[in-house]
Parts: sequence; C-alpha cells; structure tokens
Amino acid sequence: MLLVLSEEQKGHLGCLPRVGGAAVGELGRLAVELLRRGAAPRACETAARKLNTGVDTIQHGVEGLMYLLTESSKLMISEIDFQDSIRVLGFSEELNKLLLQLYLDNRKEIRSILTELAPKLPSYHSLEWRLDVQLASRSLRQQIKPAVTMKLHLNQNEDQTAQVLQTDPSTLVHLIQQLEQALGEMKTNHCRRIARNMK
Amino acid sequence: MRFRFCGDLDCPDWVLAEISVLAKISSVKLKLICAQVLRELLGEAIDYEKILKLTSDAKLESGDVKATIAVLDFIFSSAAKHNVDGESLSSELQQLGLPKEHATGLCRSYEEKQSSLQESLRACSLRLSQLDSVSWRVDYTLSSSELRDVGEPLVHLLLRTRDRGGSVAAVPMAVSADKFRVLLSELKQAQALMKTLL
Repeated sequence: MLLVLSEEQKGHLGCLPRVGGAAVGELGRLAVELLRRGAAPRACETAARKLNTGVDTIQHGVEGLMYLLTESSKLMISEIDFQDSIRVLGFSEELNKLLLQLYLDNRKEIRSILTELAPKLPSYHSLEWRLDVQLASRSLRQQIKPAVTMKLHLNQNEDQTAQVLQTDPSTLVHLIQQLEQALGEMKTNHCRRIARNMK
Repeated sequence: MRFRFCGDLDCPDWVLAEISVLAKISSVKLKLICAQVLRELLGEAIDYEKILKLTSDAKLESGDVKATIAVLDFIFSSAAKHNVDGESLSSELQQLGLPKEHATGLCRSYEEKQSSLQESLRACSLRLSQLDSVSWRVDYTLSSSELRDVGEPLVHLLLRTRDRGGSVAAVPMAVSADKFRVLLSELKQAQALMKTLL
C-alpha cells in the first residue's frame, strides 16, 4: 500500500532537506512529542532559532512529519512501501534512510497512542446494591414486598455517571441466569474455535 | 474451602498469596500497620510514610507494601461486612497460613474497632438521597385577582434534599390548608408504623 501525500504536505516536508540530517532527527522527536502530549509552540520556536529558519516552516515541517508517521503507522505499511512513498518527495538517500528509521523506531508507540483514540462505550466502574422490604404504603398496609435497588457506576472518558435501577428478586435471578448463560457461551466449541484462530 | 469472613465463599487467590507476605512482617509491626489501616477504613487519612517505615525491616518492595494494605483492607471490611467475631476470624486466618501470633494480634485490633467499622459501613451503604432540612411559612391570602375576599391560610414548604455527591437540591411547594391536613395525617401514620419497627 502506498501513501499518497497531497501537494500541501509535500510542500511542508520540503523544508526537511534544507535543515540537514541532525535537525531532521530533532524534528522527528518534536513530531513524536506532538503526538504524545499535544502542541508545544515553545519547543518549535527554540528549534527554529537553532536552525535559523522561520517558526512557521518548522511548525509545518513537524506537522508534515507527524502526518507521515501517523498515516504509515495506522496502515502498518511495510518498509518497501514506505520507501517508495517518500521517494516521490525527491529527497536524498540519506534522508530517506533517516525517515525510514524514524518510522520503524516509533511505529509501536504511535500505534498504541492511536488505539486510545478509538470511541469507547461507557464501561463498568462499580455496582452498589441494597435489599429492602416494603412493609406498607399509603394505599396498602401489611405488605411484604422485597426489592433490590442497585446503583451502577459507569466510566466514559473520565466522566462518571450513575444509573439507579430497582428490581424484585425473581427478575434479579433471571438476570443472573442470563448473564451466566452469556458467560457460558465462551465455552462452546464455536467460540473456542474462533478464539484459537485469533491467537 | 468455605470461609465465613469471605461470606461463605472460597478465599480469593490474591488474599492467599498476600497472607504469606504478611507472615514476613513481625507481629508487633503488623499490629501497628493494622491500626493504620483501620484508621483509614474509619475515614481518616492514611499515613503511608509510617507504613513504609514499619515494613522497611521486612524488606518489602513497594508493590508488596501496597498489597499488604490491600489485603488488610479486605480482611477487615469483609469480616465486618459478614459480622464475623474475632475468634472465628483468628482461626480462619490461621487455617490460611497466618502464624498464630500475627492472627491473634490482628484479631484483637479488629475486635476493638468492629462496631465502629460496621457503623461506618452502614453509613456508606447505598442511599439515594436524604432530607437535609425543612423550612415552612404560613401565609394568609386576603384577596386575589379572581376573588375579592379569599381569606384562606396557605403553607409554603421548602424541602432541601442532599444527594450522595453532597449537592443540595431545593423543592419548594405551596400547600392549601386541607391538603396540608391530609399530608400531615398520612405522615403521622407512616411515623407510627416506623415506631413499631424500631
């Protein structure tokens, strides 16, 4: 699979051959930092001053490099495909090798950062429960009505929400049976075969 | 094997593993660590530095120190939850491999604080919201745009409820005299029912 770069991105990356080999390493490090922690305008300014170029050029270069790295890591393209994709930029062999090394070194980390960007459903945090017995109400005295009240705490992207549910014991038993059946599905031959093939 | 302090279930594997770590600490130091963990369960802050000092002799790694606190936390809260007395807890812990001295010391600390532990566990049980305060005011309506001479009393009630997070919600209502009489008699009947249960 080849990576297709737009004209604008080629322009951004065009500053790389001008700054030289060591600086490309520095820009690569900035690009990975940008992925890890977000924008760092001061670091770009210091780099621009060191290399005697405009801040904008450095910023574009870092962003272009970041795009190159994320797209390649996302698609998990092989070394040959990566080299073919950047050959179209017309850089020197040395620069190409540097970029390839940058890609291979940081691929795993970039992929782990990218997995965290996938949308997530609310996940289980904890469950509080309480067993009550209703003895009387305004309309009827001398009752015995057991009820289980539950508070389900959920986590979604650091937001905590809570759902309050109430059920009678027979529904609770049914709920437990359904959940145990669901767990039991993992032990059937069908699921076992799929799990084995995924490993 | 079923254990009462685990609620008549098997003891979790991680508890079994950590009990062997507990045996490495001397029984005197273990009793002091128990006192710290009990303070934390009762709502005060835990003094982690002190626990680190107490476990430094046994040369535990930082992961082991945290595991020790976790296992003591589990033993105490689980035993209080299932209302296990000190004697049974001591014998069950010895069955799991904790040396006799350690078990006796631990259970003595537990027995001292058992009732306060249960009180604090009762207080943090699930509760949807509670009544914070009630304020009221009785007005007398003289007249209105609909009727010239109204002459009726009116009660303004403000109920403040507090939910788990601590935020207070205000529920204001205006009740006419008849409705208020009905409300009051129903609440008195509910109060009489609650008295019979106490």
